Formats: sequence, structure tokens, C-alpha cells
Amino acid sequence: MLKREMPKERFAYDPQKVLRKLEELGKEILEEVRQGKNPYLDIPTRGLNNVYFDEVKRVIRMGNKLSRRYFLNVAHARKFMQTLLIAAYVKRLVSEGKHASLREAYYANKHTIPGTKENTFEDQSESDPVIEDLERMLGVLREEMHLTADRRGYVYGDITIRDGEDEFNTSKLGMGGWAVPGTVEHIQFVDINVDYALVVETAAMADRLIEEKFPKKERALIIATQGQASRGVRRLIHRLHYEEGLPIIVFTDGDPYGWYIYSTIKQGSINLAYLSEKLATPEAKFVGMTMDDIKKYGLENVTEKLKGIPPNKKGGPTGDYKRIIEEMNYPWFQTKEWQRQLKLALQWGVRIEQQALANKSLEFVAKKYLPEKIANEELLP
Amino acid sequence: MAKAKELFKEFKIQSVSEFFRRNAAMLGYTGKIRSLTTVVHEAVTNSLDACEEAGILPYVRVEIEELGKEHYKIIVEDNGPGIPEKFITHVFGKMLAGTKAHRNIQSRGQQGIGISGAVMFAQITSGKATRVITSTGGDEIIEAWVKIDVEKNEGKIVKKIKHPNPTGWRGTRIELEVKNVKYVRSKQGVFWYLKLTAIANPHAHIELIEPDGKLIVFPRSSEEVPKPPVEMKPHPRGVMTDDVYRMAKRTRKNTVKRFLISEFSRISDRKIDELIKYIAAIRLINREEDKRIKDELFERLAKGEVDLILRSYGRRAKKVIREVQKLMDKPPEKLTWHEAEEIVEAFKYIKFLAPPTHGLRPIGEENIVKGLTGILKPEFVTAVTRPPKVYRGGIPFQVEIGLAYGGELESSFNLLRYANRVPLLFDAGACVTTTAARSIDWKRYKVEDLDRAPLTLLINVISVHVPYTSTGKQSIANEDEIYEEIRLAIMEAARRLQTYLSGKHRKLYQVKRKKTLQKYVPEIARALSILTGEPEEKVKEYFISLIERKFETVEEALEQPAEVEADAEA
Repeated sequence: MLKREMPKERFAYDPQKVLRKLEELGKEILEEVRQGKNPYLDIPTRGLNNVYFDEVKRVIRMGNKLSRRYFLNVAHARKFMQTLLIAAYVKRLVSEGKHASLREAYYANKHTIPGTKENTFEDQSESDPVIEDLERMLGVLREEMHLTADRRGYVYGDITIRDGEDEFNTSKLGMGGWAVPGTVEHIQFVDINVDYALVVETAAMADRLIEEKFPKKERALIIATQGQASRGVRRLIHRLHYEEGLPIIVFTDGDPYGWYIYSTIKQGSINLAYLSEKLATPEAKFVGMTMDDIKKYGLENVTEKLKGIPPNKKGGPTGDYKRIIEEMNYPWFQTKEWQRQLKLALQWGVRIEQQALANKSLEFVAKKYLPEKIANEELLP
Repeated sequence: MAKAKELFKEFKIQSVSEFFRRNAAMLGYTGKIRSLTTVVHEAVTNSLDACEEAGILPYVRVEIEELGKEHYKIIVEDNGPGIPEKFITHVFGKMLAGTKAHRNIQSRGQQGIGISGAVMFAQITSGKATRVITSTGGDEIIEAWVKIDVEKNEGKIVKKIKHPNPTGWRGTRIELEVKNVKYVRSKQGVFWYLKLTAIANPHAHIELIEPDGKLIVFPRSSEEVPKPPVEMKPHPRGVMTDDVYRMAKRTRKNTVKRFLISEFSRISDRKIDELIKYIAAIRLINREEDKRIKDELFERLAKGEVDLILRSYGRRAKKVIREVQKLMDKPPEKLTWHEAEEIVEAFKYIKFLAPPTHGLRPIGEENIVKGLTGILKPEFVTAVTRPPKVYRGGIPFQVEIGLAYGGELESSFNLLRYANRVPLLFDAGACVTTTAARSIDWKRYKVEDLDRAPLTLLINVISVHVPYTSTGKQSIANEDEIYEEIRLAIMEAARRLQTYLSGKHRKLYQVKRKKTLQKYVPEIARALSILTGEPEEKVKEYFISLIERKFETVEEALEQPAEVEADAEA
């Protein structure tokens, strides 16, 4: 049986740490200028060529390529100025305990530079990357800098959370559960009465499980990602696993998109490689849908065809086929079990949705499919 | 017979629209990003052309709304002359109905398919009619939903509402709903297309609202409306048999001779006499059986020895000349294909004055400079408009280029390609502009590494007949004359850049750089003061003295040229 494990990390949100890092950054620059040197910022480069898979930690990580942004370079000066503006803004936010959205951060810092016709920021596409740069430079999450990300996803189950002045149990908020906010850095877990967290791709499936009282009967916490998991949800999963020792089980559609969602939760993503250590949960396991489920539960009639052209046909592979082949080449899918699943998908040319289980009966997923598979630990790595 | 009947039961005559439906790729509707750009292109082109013809400074607003996955609404609004009610179906609904298709005129558009193609594309991807709101500034505003009847190749208005127009609004707004397209801020997308359009049309104010609500403005930098292009009669060296044959069927003149004189440029009565002699000579030579003699005679004909050749045939020549004279006097509609062929062949041997070029409408050096400065904010900019030239013997064309360097440009080479002011976004590799720009030895002009230089090159090829490499009209064919003109233009601009780079303007540049850095100092000082607690004024002082010291050394170096050289070497 799955049970909570010992925590591996402690609740670590410390605004003082962020403030210290910002001050350090400012002091270093000031020191350079004082000595008559050309001050610079070292920013880890973004993009595929600065990303690798860490075999030991089993997460996607950022390499150590840096790009140096000098003040005395006309092409860099503007970005240099913008980075410092945002850094100062973050310092104010964090020390005052306030949060701002990316858009608010943009407007708060946009103004005409005195004596010119130039704005500090022309549009949000200038401020967003600067915020990402700061994240990478300081190794601090944007959420820790009080800059909020998209909110998507919700949680239902017998856990009690403290969020600022509010304290609540997420199984007592109605069937809709608790919507995960943009920032989960500051929330604290007061009480946890579940054995594991089940991460569910679609809201429809999460709702189904809640209606069937699955969380209560199975002592599970339901986390609905509603498609690709938002940063808030990924961070929440990470914290529940490392700070609270909850095993993480992922339940997605049996298709390349679902497997990709799993892969992002587990290993992180290329875009946010610099945050993998805070967002990824390499110990997460996968319950379904798998290709084996189709045979085992007799779901042949409710599969759907993969989109695109198969690899052995002219013009192929495209669409779903191409994605599956890409996924087969991911280092973290280099296990016998996963290779077998992905090969079967290619061979049969089918995909299967979570909701296809309703073909048996509405209760099937909650009463039989999940409890059986999880109890027998029929999980993929 | 029964068999043929059965076979032909399935045989249908394809309408123009039907043809389009099946061959959308030919008109730029291929790929999700490109299709969206093409729709915007057709609408914006129409707006700009209409404004120019009416002498109005264009104000064009493009709005892209995302309605769903790969599903967008495109709204294009202008302050143009508007469209009279009875022409709405004509403009938006009929393929190949344009006024330009059969005229010898420099135009932005495609072969008269343009906006109706876009309407068709919207219709076949989303099933929706195109909404047109227009007024010519009178009492009413017409709101009409236009569809194309594919079978009949006809526009039809599915719904129409008339509104009062108390403010006297004038212009046209069209809304197309399209699917299977994608908005991306790439170099093939709408943003880049409009940016390039704005550069080449500095008299236009162009706005874009992106799907996420972001407003981008390309402001007007010139107040002068370019004159619309005028029609030019074709030059004899630039036509093919089919052109002559078809023009002859359409003409109102009553003899072949009159037809040739009035509908071609550079053909006079005297040229007709010459033409008669050449056709006669060609007929005679063609009767020779010995190939060697034939080749030799054609060679001599090319040297202009037509009189000598005719004399050598004596009486026979006189007879043939009389026949050709008769041909010149017959009604043009009776001209046979073979005769048209003979005329075109003779044209090749005759010397004509170069074609007139008054119909070509370059952007102009001054406006190129304005366009590049206004949108790209470079530190150095120059433009070269070459005098008109001719390719393939008789098709006039003109090349102009703009060169922008430094300032706010990124450190990479950018080539902005245009044909008749229309940005070309695809097939850059196959384009003569690309090969010509790459063929320049940039090092000679002090550009050490072109791909890392903050350099943008604009190339506009203007012609009544731009030789595209394919139906997509996205790259210009490698005609020797065009290639050479582009090279000459670039080299001229590059020489000016060289002068600028090698010191004459360098001091000025340093002052600009200094100013650029200085303007950020107050912002940086405030931010650093917040971060470190150091007083703002103090921080400011540190930075200002840093900048002063940096430029002191540069100025000293400038006064000692030897050292600068050494620097450049290192």
C-alpha cells in the first residue's frame, strides 16, 4: 500500500533570502562602478543548447553557458537598466509582502525616461524576459519574487492549508475544491490526512472522482491540472512530495500529450529548465492510461486513431506519431516499460482517453480501475 | 459513342473560383502562418492602393482576434475612398475581375485575384461570409456580408444593412473569419509583414492589434502620398507571341500597322518600314534548305545587314515585301498566330529605343531613409535609387536599396526584400536579392562579419513585370541585368557606409553612444539606490564618471589614428 514517506525538504520559503540576493546583486554592481570598471550582469543563456538531462537527479537542468550584459555596451545598456528596474521593484514587493502579476509589474515600471521620448519598457514582451532573466540569475522562483504566474488547476482532499490569514480543509470547499493560486510559495500545510496525491489531467475526470467520493475512500488528494500543469500546480506537487512526503501518482490520457504532461511534472521542461529543481518531481509515477489497459479492461471499442501519418507511410511520421517517436527518445523514457507502451501505441495507431473508462460504467474508474492498479502498484516509472 | 458520353458525364467546366479552391497554394495560401499573412497582405494592399489612387494619406488598422484553435478573425480598416454599393460584389466576389490584370502597369497586387481570394479562403476554411463596412463619405454606411458563388464565379451579398452616417465617416472595414491559420510573431508572420510594409510606405500609418491585445503602431514618417503608377504601353522587346496575338484581337485599330504603332511604345511609321523588311528577310531565310547558309544569314541579319540580304534575293525579295506590306494593312483581328510569331521574331532583330519608364514608381531615396529611420532607429542610414534599366531586351525595371546600420539594430544581418513595394517573406534563398547581397565582398567596406553586423539592407525591385521564380511570387528570378543592378546599388551604399565607419562620422557616433548611455543613468541610479541603500546622487556620480572616462580614452585614440588601426587589428 502507498503511504506517506518521510519529508526530504523543509518548508523553505524565506523572503529574507530573496532580499539578500537582490542586495548582493546591487552591491556587486556598485562596487564595479566605484572601481571604474564596466559593470555587467551574468545571465545563463536560455534555449535548447543550454539544457541537459541530469542522470543523477533525473531532471532536465540548465547548463552553465552565460551571456554577459555590460552597461557600457550600447546594445546592452537598455536591458541592463531594465533588469535593475525590475530587481528594485521586486525588492519593494517582497519587503512589503505584496504580490503583482506580470502585467502589473510591466505597468508599474513603465514610464518615459526623463529628457527623452523613450520608455523604460515599450511593451510586456520586454519586461517578461527580464523577469525570467532575474529568475535564472538569482536562482529564485518568480513566485518567490512575488510575481505571480497563471492560475490553473485545483485540489480536493483531506488536507488543511494555511494561506495568509485563512485556514481551510480542501475537502470542505464544495465539489470544486480549492483553486491553486499563481503563487504557492507562502502557503503552509497544517494537516495532511491522505496517503498519496493523484494528479489528474482533465477536470472532467477529477470531478468524476470527487463525485464518486474517491478521495475519501482511498485517502487520496486529487490535483486537477486541467491540461499542461501550470507552474503553481507543479510547484505544489513538488512541495507536497518533498516537504510532506506524499507519493505522487499521475493519471493522464493515453496519448502523446498526456505522456508529455507526465514528463513535465516528473522531469521539468526545456523552457523552465533552470527551475527543475523546484518544479520537477522525478519520483512521480504513472498510473494510466496505458496501452496495456486497453487489452486488460477490454477497451478496444473506445480507442481513437492517432492523428498524423505513421512512420512507415510516405510523408510520415507526422502529428501524434512524430510526438511519440520524440518521446521514445527522451532519456527518461528509456525504460523497458515505457518503451513497450510507446511502441504499442505506434503499432496499434491508437490513443485512449481517461473518460473512455466510462464505457464500463461511471463508477468503474473510481471503484475498480484506480484502486486496483494503485493497490497492486501497477505503476510505470 | 456511349463510352465517351459516360466519360463526359463527370466532366464539368471548372469555374475560376473552383480553380482557386483547388489551387490555393498558387496564390499564397499555403501553410498556417503564411495563409494568415496572405489574407492580411491582400487587404492591406487594397487599402494602400485605394488611398494612393485617391490621394489620401493612408491610415490602416489591422486587428487579429483569436476565436479558437487556429481560428481567427482578421479585421482591416482604412480611411480610403470607400466602395460604392454596386461595386462591393465586384471587388470582393469576382476572381480575375481586377482592373489591373490586363494593363501594363506596376502594381502591388496579384493577378486580380487578391482580396476576392481572401474572401474565398475565409469562406472555404470557416464557411463564413466576409463582413464589409464601407462608406464613400456620403449619407450612408453600407454593412454587407459577401460570399462567393463558386459555380458562377460571382460575389453575392447574403445580408445587407444600411446605417446613417452622421459624422461623414469614409473608408472601408472588412472582417474575415479564417481557420487553419496561426498567428506567430515570426519573420513570416503578420507582424513582420506589416513592419516591412511600414518601412516601404513611410506615408502610411499602420497599426496592429495582436491576438493578446497588444497594440503595435508603425507611425507615419512622411506626409507625401506617392503618385499612383500610370499605365505603360509594352515595349516590342518585352512581349511574347501570345501577347501580340491577344492584343490584336482586342484592339480598336483597323490595320495591323496602326495597331502596332498605337499600342506599343517606341514603334513609329519608320519602324514599321523596318519591320516589313525584317519579316520579309526572315521569311526568305527560312526558305533556305542548307542549315549552314541559314545560320549565316541570320547572323548577318542580327548585325543589321537586312538591306544587303534582301538585295541578294532580287525580285523574289520584292514579292515577299509586298506580301508583308499586305499583312500590315489587314485588320488586326485577322492576324494569325503564325504572323504574330513572325512579328515577335522580327522585333528581336530590330533596334528600338529603350522602353519608357515613367510608369515605374520607386519609393525614392528620401522616403526610404525616412522609412528605415522611423521604424528601425539606426545610427546610419543611406539609400540608392538606380536609374531604370531593361531586362530581357525590353522589360523596364528599377532597383533601389536602403542601408541601415547600428543604433537600435540587432547585431545580425537582415535583408528586407520587396517587389513593387510589397514585402517578400518566403523563399529568401532562391531570390536574386539574396544572392546579390551575399555576393558583395563586405569586408572591403569595413563590415568584417556580415552575419554579426548591425546591418539591415532593403532591396526593392520595381517593374511592370517582376520575374518571379514561381507562382507564389515570393522570390525574384536571377536575371543578369537585375542581379548586376542590385550589386551596383549595394556597392554604392556600402561605400557610403565605409566612409561613415572609417572615422569621418565616428566622433559623432561616439557622442550619440555617450548620450545613449547617459540617458539610462538616472533610472539605474534610482534602482541601485533602492537595492543597496546608497544615496541616488552618489550612484549617479559613479556612473557619469565611468562614462566620461570611457569616452575620454576613445577621443584620445581618435586623435592618434595609428592606435585606432592597431585596435581594429586586435
